[in-house]
Amino acid sequence: MKNIYTVFLCSLLIVSCNDDFLNTSPEDSISKENFFNSETDLQLYVNGLLSLPGYGLFLGDQGTDNTATTAAVEIKNMLVGSPSSENITGGWSWSRLRSINFFLENFEKAGIEQDSKDHFEGLAKYHRADFYYDKIKRYSDVPWYSGTLEVNDEELFKPRDPRKMVVDSIIKDIQYASTHIKENTAFGDINKWAALMLQARIALHEGTFRKYHPELQLESTANRFLEIARDAALEIVNSEEFEIHNTGNPNEDYAALFTTDNLSDISEAILVNVYDVDKEKTSGNSTVFGDYEQSPSKSLIESYLMVDGSRYQEQPNANTNTFVDEFQNRDPRLAQTLAYPGWIRAGSTTPYIQNLNKNFTGYHQTKGLNNTVESAGVDIAVYRYAEALLILAEAKAELGTLTQEDLDDTVNKLRLRVGIPNLNLSDANANIDPILASDYPNVTGANAGVILEIRRERRVEFAMESQRFDDLMRWYAGKKVEEIPTGMYFPSLGKYDMTGDGIEDISIIASGEDVPSPKEQNLLGIDLIYYKAGSIGDAGASLFLSDGTSGVMVTSTTQRNFVEPKYYYRPIPSHQVLLNPNLTQIMGW
Amino acid sequence: MKIELSNWLIRKVRKKLPFLGVVIFGFMSQIVSAQEINVSGTVLDAATNEPLLGASVIVKGTKSGKITDFDGNFTLIASSIKSILIVSYVGYKTQEVEIGSKSTFTILLAPDMEALNEVVVVGFGTQKKQNLSGSVETVDMKKIEGRATANISQGLQGTVANLNITFSNGAPGGSANINIRGYTSINGGSPLILIDGVPSSESDLTRMNPDDVKSISVLKDASSAAIYGARAAFGVLLITTKTGTKNKITYSNAFIWGMPTITPDPITDPYIFSRLLDTATNNTPWDYVNYTDEQYRWARDRSNDPTVPNVRLDPQNPNRWQYMGSSNWNEYFFNKSAHSQNHNVSISGQKDMYSYYLSANHTLENGLNRLAEDSWTRDALRSRIQVKPYEWIKFENNTFITLSDRKLPTYGITNVYNLRPTDVVKNPDGTWANTDAGLAAARMLDGGKTDQNTTGIQTTNKMDLFLFDGDLKLTGEHTFKKEYFKNHWDGTKYNIGYGPNDIREITSDDYAYESLGENKYSVLNLYATYSKEINKHNFTAVIGYNKEKNEYEYFTANRDDLISPDLPNLALATGEQTVSWAYSDWALSGIFGRVNYIYNDRYIVEFNGRYDGSSRFPEDNRYGFFPSVSAAWIASKDLGEPITDVMNHLKFRVSRGALGNQSVSNYGYINTMSTGQSGYLIDGDFPKTVYAPGLGVDSNSYTWEKVVTTNFGVDIGLYNSKLNLSFDNYFRNTIGMLTQSQELPGVLGTSPPRSNAADLQTSGWEFTMAYNDSYSVGGSPLDFSSSITLSDSQTKITRFQNDGELFSQWREGASVGEIWGLENDGFFKSEEEIAVLDESAIVPWGALSIVPGWPKYVDQDGNGKIETGQTALDPKDLKLIGNSQPRYQIGFNMSIKWKGFDVSGFLQGIGKRDYYPTNYLFWGAYQQPYANMYPHLLDFYRGTADSGALMAQHSQSYIDAGLAEANTDPEYPVLQSWLADSNYGGGLVIPQTKYLLSAAYLRVKNVTVGYEIPKKLAEKMYLSQLRFYVTGENLYEWSEIKRHIDPEATGSRGYSYPFHRKLSFGMNVTF
Repeated sequence: MKNIYTVFLCSLLIVSCNDDFLNTSPEDSISKENFFNSETDLQLYVNGLLSLPGYGLFLGDQGTDNTATTAAVEIKNMLVGSPSSENITGGWSWSRLRSINFFLENFEKAGIEQDSKDHFEGLAKYHRADFYYDKIKRYSDVPWYSGTLEVNDEELFKPRDPRKMVVDSIIKDIQYASTHIKENTAFGDINKWAALMLQARIALHEGTFRKYHPELQLESTANRFLEIARDAALEIVNSEEFEIHNTGNPNEDYAALFTTDNLSDISEAILVNVYDVDKEKTSGNSTVFGDYEQSPSKSLIESYLMVDGSRYQEQPNANTNTFVDEFQNRDPRLAQTLAYPGWIRAGSTTPYIQNLNKNFTGYHQTKGLNNTVESAGVDIAVYRYAEALLILAEAKAELGTLTQEDLDDTVNKLRLRVGIPNLNLSDANANIDPILASDYPNVTGANAGVILEIRRERRVEFAMESQRFDDLMRWYAGKKVEEIPTGMYFPSLGKYDMTGDGIEDISIIASGEDVPSPKEQNLLGIDLIYYKAGSIGDAGASLFLSDGTSGVMVTSTTQRNFVEPKYYYRPIPSHQVLLNPNLTQIMGW
Repeated sequence: MKIELSNWLIRKVRKKLPFLGVVIFGFMSQIVSAQEINVSGTVLDAATNEPLLGASVIVKGTKSGKITDFDGNFTLIASSIKSILIVSYVGYKTQEVEIGSKSTFTILLAPDMEALNEVVVVGFGTQKKQNLSGSVETVDMKKIEGRATANISQGLQGTVANLNITFSNGAPGGSANINIRGYTSINGGSPLILIDGVPSSESDLTRMNPDDVKSISVLKDASSAAIYGARAAFGVLLITTKTGTKNKITYSNAFIWGMPTITPDPITDPYIFSRLLDTATNNTPWDYVNYTDEQYRWARDRSNDPTVPNVRLDPQNPNRWQYMGSSNWNEYFFNKSAHSQNHNVSISGQKDMYSYYLSANHTLENGLNRLAEDSWTRDALRSRIQVKPYEWIKFENNTFITLSDRKLPTYGITNVYNLRPTDVVKNPDGTWANTDAGLAAARMLDGGKTDQNTTGIQTTNKMDLFLFDGDLKLTGEHTFKKEYFKNHWDGTKYNIGYGPNDIREITSDDYAYESLGENKYSVLNLYATYSKEINKHNFTAVIGYNKEKNEYEYFTANRDDLISPDLPNLALATGEQTVSWAYSDWALSGIFGRVNYIYNDRYIVEFNGRYDGSSRFPEDNRYGFFPSVSAAWIASKDLGEPITDVMNHLKFRVSRGALGNQSVSNYGYINTMSTGQSGYLIDGDFPKTVYAPGLGVDSNSYTWEKVVTTNFGVDIGLYNSKLNLSFDNYFRNTIGMLTQSQELPGVLGTSPPRSNAADLQTSGWEFTMAYNDSYSVGGSPLDFSSSITLSDSQTKITRFQNDGELFSQWREGASVGEIWGLENDGFFKSEEEIAVLDESAIVPWGALSIVPGWPKYVDQDGNGKIETGQTALDPKDLKLIGNSQPRYQIGFNMSIKWKGFDVSGFLQGIGKRDYYPTNYLFWGAYQQPYANMYPHLLDFYRGTADSGALMAQHSQSYIDAGLAEANTDPEYPVLQSWLADSNYGGGLVIPQTKYLLSAAYLRVKNVTVGYEIPKKLAEKMYLSQLRFYVTGENLYEWSEIKRHIDPEATGSRGYSYPFHRKLSFGMNVTF
């Protein structure tokens, strides 16, 4: 029995001396000490930094003059509400920067070839430039951090750094990226050309922003960025790696860029966010097309030229054209962006009759819609070669060095694709579109006419591709978003053809009237679709017209107010100012 | 020499005494014989006349004594006729009998109503209840037995003051959330549950057979729990299972019928529903709901005459069905008599050196899904075998095997709460309708099944050595537990009828998924107990060592595109496949000890301490020492007669101690890089990614949370302990809670690291009153017992760095559960009123218009604007309007036994709790126009009466409900969708005084009526006992919010599997 007692005590001693017992470790994750060693490690990490626009790209014109929206879009809420640093609180997220800087602090130890290392460093710097340019667009001046922060860092509480300093750092990053990232990377990943595109885009944005925003007092520094934009775009053009997608079908080639689930063979796409139904990555077809929250505006439709190159608003009846008429003889890009009279929705055999909805314009977007009955996706061209050409044209025009040859190499390649006449430099400058001139009254000088036409080209070419808002902001054209988007025009109550076959499809009656029972039928023997017209707010109405029984479709009547220059910027969320009082608000916020 | 004598005695005694020899072993070490008188007798229970086995009979003033045998008999030798026999038995009043001239005795022992000699299981040992100095309460098992609860946790609800048991829903096989004494830590923390000394989870309680439970102790304060150190900071629930006693076989069963307690029942009238939904969106920018005149006509016809068909062919498209239902989907989907049953068999026996207890349980709980299989089954086996080959050694094996199996449709049943009344479930051709209700039913029946299997095997081997005359006991026990969690779920294709000849296969969910989790757990306890009584001094000391290790591994596999919906398994799928693996482990080890000293049975002092180490902390801060001390004074023994005549027992207790809370993540201090899969397709595949590590913890200071509890208690026994009162007051400080030490600027880019930076204090009290008595009614004793438990706790944050007093964080001085809100000031009645008070800052989505009928609020800061402040320093128009923590928990129990009848009832409730509703189930279309409307919402603001033209469209029901009339003095605001949109947080989602509800309730948890047939009749059937009973659970409740949701379902805002009302019949048989 004594033995048992001894055994008991001994076992107690043995078990208590086992130091390793309390050392546990997670076996399904990895520590930084065991990582950043190989090329694979670096690739795995930079995979996590990728951030590309998804199909939301085709929804991004909400809140601009291109699109009416019922969504709570930030700019719209600002225009109609009382924005302050307490209710405009989005955008102050810094986790992506920390991920990027963590990489830049650790990747060096990998034992791989220097050019590979430089490639990965370039990728991280691409992402940092991308991250910071978004911040600049919202806040103008933001604190610049080139490394990760620790809890006790005084840097946490530093004030904003000036825009000049931050943008110079961004340019340094993106220039490093575009000179070190490899030309050929995996399909869907960033390559040298994507970096050059971002470089051109940022530089054009910054150049024009400084030129047109007197409140920054940086006008004199604008040209440097326009030159960077020009050179980056030129490098892409001169590489001859890309071309405008043009197979000689002016009514299809443009649309092919936005409605296919395979952009890999289309060399206009410089960087693609790939969608694939088989991989369960599908895009939101119904949000693009259905009356979900957005609808294209009449103003956008009017900005398309006629197919002969003349201006729509200078046509007789331009202001009284109904839906079917306004789509006749237009720049073919219009019918490749919106549902046109006679367009057929997949699954149907008869043309689609535009659904008219309260608070909507009646127009329907097809850009970004893969018109099939199955669930589908569209590959998204994050950067298109067309943008490189338009950046080149705009930068040169703003620098005052644009020639007709430049136009032929850029804008006119886009016009050639859709079969409309070339833009002529001297004609454009001699015959300025009065509507464009009133839209952008701050464009002056000898090249004003061609600058305005390039702006039209951008609006049309990139309609519904999330370019319009940034464009209006950099051009100091915030007043344009005060326009409340309107919709289709109906001269009176009565019956209308919506499909272009001359046969009436809908009947608009007054809101007090009853829909006849049975409903009246058209020549094809199909019931007419009835709408009750009224002014906005009329509870009995199913269609809002500007004059109650006639006029354009109304989406809202709440007055919009764009305060300049304040609304070109956003406030830092008040909560963050409470945490760091050194972050002061600017521009009247 | 002494040892030899002992061995001789042990051998001698063992032959005659079946068990418990060791208890009186000390008394028997000397036998002195002089004048020898042979005495024999029988000890019987005074109430039942049953023989008492193991009662001790001692000759006063000597150490000579015996233990009664199986039939209650004893024989012994006394020295003189003047000798006095002391007869005692645990739980009975001790009796003294003078031998006199008699040589045979029949001694009737009365049950001890005081029950103060009751032995209570405490950490690593037992103690007499009377000697407790900490706050320990035992559960009166009589309250639970005979109630047909399938889950021991259900039975525990309300039985012990401040043992707070809640269920998040009523799903079959659901586990309880168990709390002792209120809010624990901002990081959470729950009591340590031990089943036969083995740390267990809440789900282990669910999986164990309630019939196996012999006793339950609740250790509430630091001193009683300190011996468990690391995990006992918030109390301990000690559950002991039965061991082999006298030979018996028992069988019991219950047959149960269940129905939902409370479901949120919406408006079913198709016209009222349609019109209100349409109205609700009219004055919003999102006017999505616009019914045509034709739809209104049909709705009106259906409303006026329910025999009008609810399905027809769409006049616009004769290939499609069109629907206009009027259903309450809760009635369609929930079963009103879900049948369940359970059966228990146990065999126990005890012979010579062996004793055994074997039990088996089978439980089948059927859930409330009326359409598809929705069940939980449990099969539990337990075997407890003890072998005591010699007096100085005892072996025990305690093995427990459970299988549980939850089967349910993959499509969740709570989705039915949002189904609209206008839906229809089936088409005339018998296919599932193309509505949400049709889809829900189709998915439940055909759209995939889920099967969650758990298998647990646990075995404990234990050895006790009794040394030095039993003064020293050495115990070694090792437990090994392995659990498998196997889940299968699948989604299969199902058919929906779009039109008469248009039946479509819906393939959006088409996959099979399997997961297998394996948990391995082992615990080793080695401890020694030494106790010695010298004159009036009684010492007990415990010292021991404990180590535990837990490893968890988890695989999952998923594959899409099943070949056949009838065979939904991985092998027969052809599409995308994904697998994953996860692992985690933790370990603990500690040395613990206790010293207990009692002087003269009236002064008690006890020290507990534990030195604990946990793998969850960095090596330098891994160990902590947690001491506690407690003292008690049994004052009644020092008080004189006049007082003790009434107050027979009075004890004061005080304790203080510190414990560690290690309920933090397993690897919180290791900053690892997590892995994942990118959402982008690169070269056709989603690449793997690795992410930056977070800042995790501040490793300089990261260590245990400490929980320091101070407890004051008093126990009072009145009228010979017929009435017992107990009161405790406590302060529990949770110190050094791991949290982000402060909120840092967003530029940090990640969550700030956590350190032991916050404190809180929970203070509260608990009161228990029990009254037990026996009366003679009709010549038979009527036993009456009742008890009330009342408890309360409140929690304040006492340290938290939040200088700005931001609401987004905890704040020093704030109470846990505070609800800050606006003060309602009626409604805007006109545009002029709207113009005066600017409420634009709280407009949902910044987009709704403020119109007459909008709620108006008190402008607390008088700036003409209604704003919600972000800090307590500048709350703007917010003020403190309530608290969501439960207060004043109450349990009330009463039972009566007379002849063979027994009746008992049990109420449980919460005295005070505020609840602010934010969801469809309260706000209906005010949230968004996608779900239901509820009857209470009909009293909404209507500025004007409807026009004549509109009146002509209305159904009679709409007009009768007054909905066409103006209503400018309503309960609810203008009907505007998104006004209560919880996705945004403005408008009605901001808590406000008018719609703050009381979540207090009192619920009739249980009523049981039983009848035990007379013994003689039972014996004729060769039974020793036969009882039948009827019991009802959750029969009724008093509650304000039961109009909307079950008062116990506030945690999920009503979106929970319904709780059950149950009616059961059952019987208990003992052979």
